[in-house]
Amino acid sequence: MTEFLELTVDKFTFRFATDRYYHPEGVWALPEGEGRVRIGLSDFAQQSGGDVAFAEVKPVGTAVAFGDEVASIETMKTDIVVPAPVSGTVAEVNPALEMSPEVINEDPYGEGWLAAIAATDWEADRARLLDPQAYLERVREVAEEEMRKR
Amino acid sequence: MTDPYDLAILGGGPGGYVAALRAAQLGMRVALVEGARVGGTCLNVGCIPTKALVTATELLTRARRAAEYGIRIPQAEPDLEGIMAYQRAAVERLVGGVEQLLKEGKVTVVRGRGRLVRPDALSVTDGAGGTTEVTARHIILASGSVTARPPIPGLDLPGVVTSTEALDVSTLPAHLIVIGGGVIGLEFACIYEALGSRITVLEMMPNLLPGAADEAIAKRLAVLLRRRGMDIRTGATVQAVEGARHTSPLRVRFSTSRGEEAVEGDRVLLATGRWPNTADLGLEEVGVRMNRRAVAVDEYLRTSVPNVWAIGDAIGGMMLAHKAMVDGRVAVENIAGQKRAVDYRSVPWAIFTSPEVAGVGLTEAQARQQGADVRVLQFPFSANPRAQILGETEGLVRIVCEAGSGRVLGVHMMGPHATELIAEGALAVQTGATADDLAWTTHAHPTLTEAVLEAALGFRGATIHYHRKT
Repeated sequence: MTEFLELTVDKFTFRFATDRYYHPEGVWALPEGEGRVRIGLSDFAQQSGGDVAFAEVKPVGTAVAFGDEVASIETMKTDIVVPAPVSGTVAEVNPALEMSPEVINEDPYGEGWLAAIAATDWEADRARLLDPQAYLERVREVAEEEMRKR
Repeated sequence: MTDPYDLAILGGGPGGYVAALRAAQLGMRVALVEGARVGGTCLNVGCIPTKALVTATELLTRARRAAEYGIRIPQAEPDLEGIMAYQRAAVERLVGGVEQLLKEGKVTVVRGRGRLVRPDALSVTDGAGGTTEVTARHIILASGSVTARPPIPGLDLPGVVTSTEALDVSTLPAHLIVIGGGVIGLEFACIYEALGSRITVLEMMPNLLPGAADEAIAKRLAVLLRRRGMDIRTGATVQAVEGARHTSPLRVRFSTSRGEEAVEGDRVLLATGRWPNTADLGLEEVGVRMNRRAVAVDEYLRTSVPNVWAIGDAIGGMMLAHKAMVDGRVAVENIAGQKRAVDYRSVPWAIFTSPEVAGVGLTEAQARQQGADVRVLQFPFSANPRAQILGETEGLVRIVCEAGSGRVLGVHMMGPHATELIAEGALAVQTGATADDLAWTTHAHPTLTEAVLEAALGFRGATIHYHRKT
């Protein structure tokens, strides 16, 4: 059972799955063994992006380096270029995204996953990612800054 | 035998009748030879009647969503005979209009099936079997195209129809299987889907609208159609159509990379494209050089036989009515002594699916193949105020431009009224406009055209009403 940290800023609550690592741009990475790393958008990223209309993930077989665009997600108000949180090759794309891209909004840490990457050097990439608490603190800074601007 | 005409035209479709009218403007004595009614495939059994069906089904779809706009329409239902009457009236009005224009231009319409018998003569056989000869100083071949019939077994089974029979929506199939995911197949798929038929589309190529639409847009269209419940198969090669024994009378067998499959339905629409209509017109006998089925022409639309010209679908390439019309003007002006080469850079595609798809110029893939350093500027209709008010936010604008100069190489779009909006793209491509030119042209607010403006603003990172997170 996935456990979550929670952060409430103003009237918004953001959840952070504790079993995985985070790219500061709002992409999670969950190692699944045998060099496979599942990736997806964080709850904060999906909430700030809004309702997803289209999700286009690079096709299976595409090589990506850490930070490269691995997917682009079109919402009603923004175009999110998703950076790869791990170097490797796209091994699987969530088949649900074509018919029901809203799963990214509904279940960002579960059914709304984006892709699985066959990682080339997960240990090295992991060192560049944030743990859930560190990412939560990053989101707190960003969200509070947004609030001040209003 | 009467005095020769200045110009005789074989075929009264959009290419032929426009050529006739332009020639009349330039003072030529013109004969237009046509076996059926003037207007050709386009007016009688193509663009025009399908657009009547699209208009009717769009209204139906919108009426069913009336509550979203605060309007009570208790039960919007199609009256199939009423739609047929509306379709016939639209065709009648426009064909009548062309007939009137030809009359005013003093063009002699010769009724019957024409055939080239000499470089300066057509023989025309009328319905009663009588033959007359029309002689002219110049002849334009504008014989159009016919439905392509690929060698698939079973195409002669009852229930297998072409686009012409598909115009008759007075009885609806429960399940329509469309062979060919091109312009014709998808327009009919959307029409029949709106009227209530289940739809399966089988396209041989990896993407819908092959050769027409930008690939990124074709992919999105496939997704949108699937979300509406259509079964869209790409990479599906049809092997045969067979009579099925079970509940549905037809079975279509096809193969994909996953193996053999079959789908059953009660009507099959053959929409695998069109072939130039050049058989049995006497062309080879007179020495007209052919390029497979198409009449071979040079850039001035001259055939290999002096004073014989060819235009439109008969010369192959982009089989579009508006391209044929331009051909007609080019050929006639060259006959009149000008030297005008055809210029197809700004011929737009206009596809009346729901949502509409349109494009002009190079696609991203074509531009990259040509070695251009390309940038693609995108803007979604979901961020366009007018599209939001219309409740039609699906789709996007893509501008393909040179990375350095911003010169517009192509414009591609899917979305509300894309077939109208593409005119700006055609002008940009034709005049060599840049993204900056589009961006500094003030577009009225709130209109759909602002989607083009906003995409163009992206060249300087200046898109206002959308955010691209990187």
